Amino acid sequence: MSLFRLFLLFVKIGAILLGGGYVILPVMKSEFVEKNKLISEDDLVDYFAISQSLPGIIAANISIFVGYKLRRTLGAIVAVAGVTFAPFWSIVLLASLISKYLHTSIMQGIFWGVGIGVMVLMISATREMWAKAFEDKFAYLIFAAGLAVMLFTDISPVWVVISSAVTGVIYKKIARWRIKE
Amino acid sequence: MIFVHLFYEFFKIGLFSFGGGYATIPFLYHIGEVYGWFSGADLERMIAIASVTPGPVGVNMATYTGLTSGGIIGSLVATTAITIPSLILIVIISKILKKFRENFYVKAIIYGLKPASCALLASVAIQMILSKSNDIYAMVLFGIFLVMSFITKKDPLFYLGVTGIIGLIIFLLKT
Repeated sequence: MSLFRLFLLFVKIGAILLGGGYVILPVMKSEFVEKNKLISEDDLVDYFAISQSLPGIIAANISIFVGYKLRRTLGAIVAVAGVTFAPFWSIVLLASLISKYLHTSIMQGIFWGVGIGVMVLMISATREMWAKAFEDKFAYLIFAAGLAVMLFTDISPVWVVISSAVTGVIYKKIARWRIKE
Repeated sequence: MIFVHLFYEFFKIGLFSFGGGYATIPFLYHIGEVYGWFSGADLERMIAIASVTPGPVGVNMATYTGLTSGGIIGSLVATTAITIPSLILIVIISKILKKFRENFYVKAIIYGLKPASCALLASVAIQMILSKSNDIYAMVLFGIFLVMSFITKKDPLFYLGVTGIIGLIIFLLKT
């Protein structure tokens, strides 16, 4: 597959996705496994699973995996440029439209309402994460500590992420060492 | 200088946000406070717009934030910067995919990151709710939709569409 066709395929995928990366698996399956037979379904499921435990945007991660598999580093770059293409331009166009009318009172009214919807979505997203967040009781402690730091200090979330990763490693090391004893 | 800051901040988000689109929000909330590029209300608008436009929410958020703080070049810088850590990481781990997943350290780090990422998101949700706590109408509507979201799982578009229409109706009734 030429790099240009690869780019176009990813532009299409980026344009289809709406409201989060989770629908990317069925879309990618239809484009890459069924229609074009470029990668196996097993590979795709693997990429999907690993992408969720990597940092960054899940949909971009899967695209990078597929692009790399097909055309190495250049393919990975083309894939990520493609998948971000439609979202990029739709935001640029929409945002300039919105900022033009933002200060009209009708828009203020609409966004007052939408702000409520956003809070509901934030709670839903938190609940989704919550459902998969805890492997054992100690994980609740990490949650509580992270929440306290975020609510009561100005410390950057970056430090919460780093220190919880370090805590995870220390905790698992101790657990492994205890089993060996 | 703003482009250097944008690149640095969004590179960090790309490297440290785990768990999908909404995981970028706690970081954006923080940089909004530090740099003053946008307010909490701006961020709410961005989340709404990112949720209804095509593409992954994380990309939309980066593009929108970059746009409001540094124009079209700013949005290009932010969108590129947020994907670079993934690009580097995946090119490296693609060769050792199987070993990567079984690795002790990878598993231990993910063990710690899952509850922490959840805490980050929860903290922003709480701060958003607190910022509206003296708007009685908003709180009542929020309560109703929250209960609804616990009972049935609906598309983000549903919540944003319906609350947007309610906002419009209330505005029209007032005038």
